[in-house]
Amino acid sequence: MNLGTRKVLDRSFTSLGIGSIVVMALALLVVITPIVYNGLGAVFFQGTIEHRKLLQDEFHRGDKAQLEREIEESGRYRMEAYRMLGEFEAELEGMDPVKARQYRMQLGPVKTALQGLLGPIPGEEPGILTRFRYGQTRWEKAEEKLHELLYESKWDYSDPNVMAKEYFVRRAESFEGTSLLPLFSYVEQNAEKMLLPRFTAYWGFLFDKSVDAHIFGGIWPEIQGTFFLAIGAMLFAFPLGVVAAIYFTEYAKDNLFTSMLRSANSTLAGVPSIVFGLFGLAFFINTLKVSESKSVLAGALTLAIMILPTIIRAAEEAILSVPKTYKEASLGLGSTKWNTIVTVILPAALPGIITGGVISLGRAAGETAPIIFTAAVSVGSAIGLADVLSSPTPALSWNIYNLASEHEMASEIRHVQYGMVLALVSIVLLLNLSAVLLRARITKKLKG
Amino acid sequence: MSGEVQKESSRSQAFVVSESRRKMQKVARTAGETVLLLIASFVAIVVLFIFYFVAVDAVPYFQLRGFTEFFTSTSWYPAGEPGEFGALAIIYGTGMVTLGSALLAVPMGIAAAVCLSDILPFSVRQYAKPVIEMLAAIPSVAFGFFALVILAPLLQTSGGPMLMWVWWILAAPFLLLSVIVGSDLLTTKIEDPLRRKRYATMLQALFGLLALLVLYVVGSRLNAMEILTGTNALNVSIILSFMALPTIVSVAEDSLQSVGRELREGSYALGATRAETLVKTVIPAASSGILAAVILGIMRSLGETMVVWMASGNSSHIPEPWYNYLEAVRTLTATIAGDMGEADQVTGSARYHVLFAMGLLLLVISFISNLVSERIVVRQRKILSGQ
Amino acid sequence: MMKRVLMLLIAALLLGGADVSAAGTGIVIDGSTTVGPIAKSFAAYYMKKTGVAVTVSESGSGNGAKSLINGACDIAAMSRDMKPQEIAAARKMGVNPVQHVAALDAIAIIVNPANPVRGLTRAQIAGIYTGRYTNWQQVGGPNARIVVIQRESNSGTQESFKTLVTGKASQITRLAETQASNGAVKNRVSTTRTSIGFIGMGFVDSSVRPIPVDGVVPTVESVRSGTYPLWRKLYFYTNGVPVGQLKEFLSLSATPDGMRIISELGYISR
Repeated sequence: MNLGTRKVLDRSFTSLGIGSIVVMALALLVVITPIVYNGLGAVFFQGTIEHRKLLQDEFHRGDKAQLEREIEESGRYRMEAYRMLGEFEAELEGMDPVKARQYRMQLGPVKTALQGLLGPIPGEEPGILTRFRYGQTRWEKAEEKLHELLYESKWDYSDPNVMAKEYFVRRAESFEGTSLLPLFSYVEQNAEKMLLPRFTAYWGFLFDKSVDAHIFGGIWPEIQGTFFLAIGAMLFAFPLGVVAAIYFTEYAKDNLFTSMLRSANSTLAGVPSIVFGLFGLAFFINTLKVSESKSVLAGALTLAIMILPTIIRAAEEAILSVPKTYKEASLGLGSTKWNTIVTVILPAALPGIITGGVISLGRAAGETAPIIFTAAVSVGSAIGLADVLSSPTPALSWNIYNLASEHEMASEIRHVQYGMVLALVSIVLLLNLSAVLLRARITKKLKG
Repeated sequence: MSGEVQKESSRSQAFVVSESRRKMQKVARTAGETVLLLIASFVAIVVLFIFYFVAVDAVPYFQLRGFTEFFTSTSWYPAGEPGEFGALAIIYGTGMVTLGSALLAVPMGIAAAVCLSDILPFSVRQYAKPVIEMLAAIPSVAFGFFALVILAPLLQTSGGPMLMWVWWILAAPFLLLSVIVGSDLLTTKIEDPLRRKRYATMLQALFGLLALLVLYVVGSRLNAMEILTGTNALNVSIILSFMALPTIVSVAEDSLQSVGRELREGSYALGATRAETLVKTVIPAASSGILAAVILGIMRSLGETMVVWMASGNSSHIPEPWYNYLEAVRTLTATIAGDMGEADQVTGSARYHVLFAMGLLLLVISFISNLVSERIVVRQRKILSGQ
Repeated sequence: MMKRVLMLLIAALLLGGADVSAAGTGIVIDGSTTVGPIAKSFAAYYMKKTGVAVTVSESGSGNGAKSLINGACDIAAMSRDMKPQEIAAARKMGVNPVQHVAALDAIAIIVNPANPVRGLTRAQIAGIYTGRYTNWQQVGGPNARIVVIQRESNSGTQESFKTLVTGKASQITRLAETQASNGAVKNRVSTTRTSIGFIGMGFVDSSVRPIPVDGVVPTVESVRSGTYPLWRKLYFYTNGVPVGQLKEFLSLSATPDGMRIISELGYISR
C-alpha cells in the first residue's frame, strides 16, 4: 500500500473512534433532551384557572380571594357561552322534531368538548370522577380541546380499498342558521379570557399525592416509595458489602475457596435483574414469608442482593488503592490488624467506598424488574415508615411503566409520565454527581 | 498527670503478654476472622440460594412437560387448555435482539475504547468519561419509555427515510474507503509509478461509480420501506446497544490500557502508523480483555427487561424471513415480567413454573458467560504479566 | 450545607408518610387491569368520603386471586371467574372466595380510525385472530397486512375474548403482538394504521374506532339489551361475606354515585 492510502486509513480509523464517541454523546443527548424538556413541562406550564381551582379544592393552596375574583371574571365570559347554549336548546324545543333530533345528535359532541374545555356546564350534574369536574388545567391541552370543539374530525371512508385520511370540518357549518352559530367564534375568541392561562410553576407535582389516578396532582407517593426501597436496600447491602470487601482485601488467602467466592461475586453481578425478581418472589415472599405479599421490605431485600456485588467491588477497589505505606506504618507502630483496618485503612478508603455506595443507591432507585413481583403497586397513597414491613408501595420506576403502557388514559397524561421519568433520571444522575463531588471533597479533606 | 503514667505502664505491659491472654487474643482473632469469612461467603450463599430457589420452581415444569417442547416448539399458548409451552420463538427473539444490539454496540464500543485509551488527548477524555458514566446510569425504564413513546412512533411514521439516512452516513464513508484501498491494492504490482497512478485513478472512478450505485439503490429501497410496527426488534436492538455500550467501552478500555507502552513504542519505531499500531499490535494484545468486554456487554442486553417488555411488541413467533428485524419479537425476560402477574401461582401449574424455567435458562447462560469472561481476564493478566 | 439539605429531605420523607398511615387499617385491592379503573376510582371516592386508605395494585387477575388466597389483599379484582383450582387452593388455605359483580364490560373490537372497514362478523374476527385472514382485503378492507394485537396470554380479557369469539380450543395466531394491558393495546392500535385489537369498552376513546360486530355497535344500550354479543362480567372477590367497611366499599357499585362512576368510566353498571 502506498503511503497516501495508509495515511487515509489512519485518519479514518481515528475518525471512526471519535465518531463512536460522538454517537454515544448524541445517544445520551437524544434520550435526555426530550425527557428533560417534556419533564420540565410537568412542573412549568401555562396553567389555567381550572388548575388553580383544583389546587384550592384538593390541596387548599393558592390565594383564595384572588381565585374568587378570577372565577368571577372568567365566569362572565363563560356565562355568555352558556347563555348561547341555553338559547339554542330552547330553540330546539320549538323545532320540527326530526330536525331537532338531528341537531341534538350533533350537539352532543359539542357539549362534551365544551365540558372538556371549561368543566361541567352549569345546570347539568357534574361528574363524580375528578377528571369530569374540571376543565383543562393546562393551556396547551385546552388548545387541543378548543380545536376539538371547533372542528369535527372526519375520516374519508369513501374508498374501502385505501386507508382513510383524516380531515376536519368546522362544526359551525352544521349549525348554520341557528342560534348556536355565534358560540363557536365566541369561544374561539374568548377562550383565553375563560381560562385565564398564566405561567405556573407547579412544585406540587413533586410533593402532592396524585388525584384521580395521576390525571391530576403529583408524584410524591412514587418518589417516597423509591427512596424507601433504595435506602432500605442500602441498609442491608452497605454494611455487608464493606465487611465482605475488607475480608477479600485483607484476610482472604489466595486459594481456591477465595477465588470461588470471587467468582460468586461476579456471577451475582451478572444475574439478569428479572431473575432477582423471581428469586425475591420465590424466596423472600413464598418461602421466608417476610411479608404476606409484596412489601417494601421484600423489595428492599431483593434490591440489596442486586447491588451487593457493586458495593463489594467499589469498596475493594477503594481499600486496595490505599497506599501500602499507611498500613505498614500503622502495623509498625504496634497496632493490631483489625485496629489498622478500622482506624487507618477504612478512613483512607472512605471516599471510594461512599462513592460506590451512592452509585449503588442510584442503581437501586432506578431498577424496575426486581420490584415488579416484590414491592411495586400502581396506585396507592404514600406509606409511612411504620408500614414498610408489610405494605407495598408505588415507586417511580414501576409507575413509569404502568402509566406509559397500562393506564387507561396513557396518551393524555404524557406530561405526568415525562415528569416521572425526569424525576427518576434526576435522582439517579444527581446521586451519581454527588458521588463524584463527595469523592473530590473527601479526598481534599484527607489531604489536608 | 497520673493518668498518663498509668497509660504508659499499661502500654508497656502490653508487650509482655501472658500466655493465657495471647491465647484469648488468638481465639478472638480466629472468631473475628470467621465472622468476616461468613459475611464474605454470604455472596456465595446468595448465589447458591438463587440457583436453588429458581431451580426448585423450574424443575416441576420439566417434570410435568419434559424438555423437548420447551426447546423445540414455537407454540407459546400458556393459557390454552391444555397449555402449550414452546419457548423456541421466545429464545430466538432473545437471541435476535441480543445479537442486534451486539452488532451495533461491539464495533462502536471497541472503536470508542481505542479512541479513549490511545487517540484522544487527556483533556478531551475528561469530558468523554462522564458521558459514558451517565449513559450507564440512566435507569432502564427511562430507556424503555423513550423506546416506546418516542422511538417507536418515529420508526412507524418515518422509519424508511431514517434508515436511508443511517445507511448513507454509515455506508458512504466505508465504501469510499474501500474504493481507495481496493484500487490501491489492485495496482501495487505495477512497477511504473506513472502508469500505476493512472490505473489507480481509473479503478477509483470505476469502483466509485459502482459504490454510488449500490448506495443509491439500497438507500432508495430503504427509503420506500414502510415499517408496520414501531415496537420491533430493531427498536429494541438500538436501545439495548445504548445500554451495552458503556460496559463494553469501560471494560475494553481497561484492557487496552493494561497493554504496556513498550509494545506501542516498538510498533511506532518500525514505522507503523497509529492505526496500524493499534489494529495490528495493541488490539491483538488486549484481545482477550476486549472479548470479556464484549461478553459482559452482551450479558447486559440479554438480561435487560424493561426495554424489551415495553418496546419489543411481545409477539412470540420467529420473524419471516428469519432476519427481519422490523417485526415484533418476544424475549425471555419480557415473558417472565409480563406473564407472572396473570399466572395462577397458587395452584402450581406448568404455566407458573415455566416462567421459572425461563429464569433458570437465563441464569445458566449468564453464569456460563460470566465464568468464561472471568477465565479470559485471568488468562490475559497472566500473559501480560508474563511478558 | 449538604448535610442540612439531606436532613431536611429525610425529615420530609418520614413526616410525609406518617400523617397518611395514621388513617388506620385500609383496604387492599389487587388484580385485573380491566377492573383497575373502577377499583381506582372507587378507591379515590371512598378515601375522600371516609378517610379509609385504599391501595390498588393492578397486577392481573391471576395475581389478584393469589393475593386473596394468601390473605395479602381484601378484594381481588378479576375480569374472569375464579377457576375451580383456585377455589380449591383457597379452601385449603381457609379462604372462602365470595363473588361480587362489579360491573358489566363489553369487549370492543377496535381498529385505527384510518381503517375504512365497515364492520366484521364474529367469524371474520375469529378468522383474523386465528390467522386465516392476514390482509384487510380478505374482510372487505384495503390491501394491507393486518397487524394483530392481543393481550397477554393469560389475561382475563384475553380469555373472555377467546371464549366469546374464537372458541376456547382454537389458538390465536403466533404473529399476534402481545400487549400487557388494555391501555397498551389501545395505544398500539391508535398508532398503527393497519392494526386490530380488542379492549374493554371503558377504554375506548376517539383515538381508536370500535367496529360493529355482527352489525351491532358496542354501546351501553346494545350490551344491556343483549344485542351486542361480546360482553362479560367483572368481579370483586372477597374472603367470606364482607362486613363493615369492606361491605360498604363493595356496595358502592349499587349506589347512584357508584353507578355514575361506572358509567363515566365507560363500563355498564349491573
